[in-house]
Amino acid sequence: MSTPVAQMVESLARRKATVQLAGAANAGRAAAGWMADQGIVRAVLADDPVVDAVGLEPALRAAGIDVFRWPVAMGRREVLGLEGPQDVCGVTVPTLGVAERGTLVLEASVGHGRGLDVTNRHHVSLLMADRVVETLGEALAQTFADGRPVPSAVSLVSGPSRSSDIEKISTLGAHGALTEHVVIITP
Amino acid sequence: MSTRRRRRNPGVAYPDVTGTLRDRTVDALRDPTLADNLRTAGDSWGAGREVMKRDFGFDEMRDRARDIRRSNIRNMPALLAELQSNVRANGGVVVRAADADEACRYITDLARARGARVVAKSKSMATEEINLNEAMEHAGLEVVETDLGEWIIQLANEHPSHIIAPAVHLNRNQVAALFREEAGTDDVPTDREGLVAHARVRLREKFAQAEIGISGVNLGVASTGTVCIVENEGNARLVTSQPRIHVAVMGMERVIADWDEAAHILQVLPMAAISQDAANYVSLITGPRREGETDGPEEFHLVIIDGGRGALRGSEFEEVLSCIRCGACLYSCPMWQNVGGQAYGSPYSGPIGAIITPVLEGPSSPGSRDLPFMSTLCGACGDACPVGIPLPDLLVRARARSSSPAKRKAGLAFRVWSLLWRRGVTYRLTMIGWRLGLRIRGRGGWVHRLPGPGSGWSKVRDMPSKWPPRR
Ligand code: SF4
Repeated sequence: MSTPVAQMVESLARRKATVQLAGAANAGRAAAGWMADQGIVRAVLADDPVVDAVGLEPALRAAGIDVFRWPVAMGRREVLGLEGPQDVCGVTVPTLGVAERGTLVLEASVGHGRGLDVTNRHHVSLLMADRVVETLGEALAQTFADGRPVPSAVSLVSGPSRSSDIEKISTLGAHGALTEHVVIITP
Repeated sequence: MSTRRRRRNPGVAYPDVTGTLRDRTVDALRDPTLADNLRTAGDSWGAGREVMKRDFGFDEMRDRARDIRRSNIRNMPALLAELQSNVRANGGVVVRAADADEACRYITDLARARGARVVAKSKSMATEEINLNEAMEHAGLEVVETDLGEWIIQLANEHPSHIIAPAVHLNRNQVAALFREEAGTDDVPTDREGLVAHARVRLREKFAQAEIGISGVNLGVASTGTVCIVENEGNARLVTSQPRIHVAVMGMERVIADWDEAAHILQVLPMAAISQDAANYVSLITGPRREGETDGPEEFHLVIIDGGRGALRGSEFEEVLSCIRCGACLYSCPMWQNVGGQAYGSPYSGPIGAIITPVLEGPSSPGSRDLPFMSTLCGACGDACPVGIPLPDLLVRARARSSSPAKRKAGLAFRVWSLLWRRGVTYRLTMIGWRLGLRIRGRGGWVHRLPGPGSGWSKVRDMPSKWPPRR
């Protein structure tokens, strides 16, 4: 295990995210297994080559989980979980991971809705091990490099949603995902 | 100082505060629940800061943070021009508002033109400063604060007590009572997890309806025209992704040159504010949704507010423009720790609030001219500030230019005293008078009550009637 990945695992744990390491051949099944254990009944997947490379969709179907692909034709109430099933999981593919802070870099695009990580009760990220960089500085330098088109929205996510607004004690599950699970795909 | 320009809406301090600063301070000190809640908050901040220093090298990051912000302020006009042209190049609308009126008018006009009815807001000190909620409600809009703490405050019909943790002065039972009232049912949990889950569902209903989302801006990155919004709950992510229109409101000093600088400040901010090495969510927004994207706002508006800031460049208060509104100086301040933010009567409380409120409003504003005196000048705020703002020095400078009546009275008293004691004859005469006075007022060797300016002192103390006291 290379150092940045090891550090990423440690940082994610500090951020109260859960982590799993898996090779490309097993990552889809690993993610689907975790989702089934959480009682997740529906998954909304980013339309990204990594999702297909790890065979997530067939694994989810085999686990009996409903699969949707971005972009989805849902009303805003359903997207926000006010209608339809509660235990929905957004699946994202970060362009980068920041080892030092346990941060995922998510870029909005046609295939990658900007609400995927935050509207659903659960969030699973498929992070390629070779996309893990050490510092936030490196990650932002790459994301906003000269000559590269600037994404309309980039979301830096570091762990599940929380609030300390009541008595200054951190409580998980504010507006965003209650659980965040990261599957790091090792070569 | 050149900040004494006329503004139609001069308020930074809340127009609806009641009583004098002294009244509000005394009230706050008499509230035992408030004292407990503030102590919990202050203690947990202090412990967290130690962890940041020990495990994350916080102290070493501060020098660079200061240098970055100083250079941003030095280059502010050029950086703002760059930010503006890059936001426009990415399909956003940029509005420069000279004051609160202009900013509020732009936003309410926009809402009217688009036929909006419900507005979802994420936390923003700038909108608090310009009193945007009131302006929008006046225009017939339903405004919902979606940050949990801000929503609690909105339900309580109060003003925030802290820049970062607005409801820090309320405990869970007080919050549960507010939620019961809002929901119109007693079926509201009373544990923290339950309360957070309850708010999540209630506020999602609002996100489903809102046509406009309004956010603040932590940093505006000039090199790409991107606004950064830092938060933990995810409500700003919803505000900037669900409604059809996103309006970001930014104080003009929040501009930063490039991503190298922004990466540094984005790490220093959560360390200073909440003693975490990362915030949970940072949204980096560059214009509206692009062709083919199916979520995110169709319109992006950036409102950049001057509100007296521009005039501070080159003045003796220029350094306050470096502030990243982390709230650390509040937690560190023994004044704030005892009375909380609401006594200040301004959205900006604590040491930074005691400086910028009167500095932005002008030295004779009755609502804020006493604020620089809300300090023991102990220096804790200067040590706490992540961007090296010399807050104690600035408090002294703000005092020097304040024209508060209390200060004028004190100044007069000191001048008379110095006049009398400068000469031997008058010095001895006052001392003889003083001793005689004590003898006359004394009962059984003690004076229990002194007249005039001494009355406050003698309220809780006695003075021997023979001076110097002999055994
Ligand atoms: S003055 Fe410094 S410590 Fe206070 S809020 Fe601003 S940046 Fe934070």
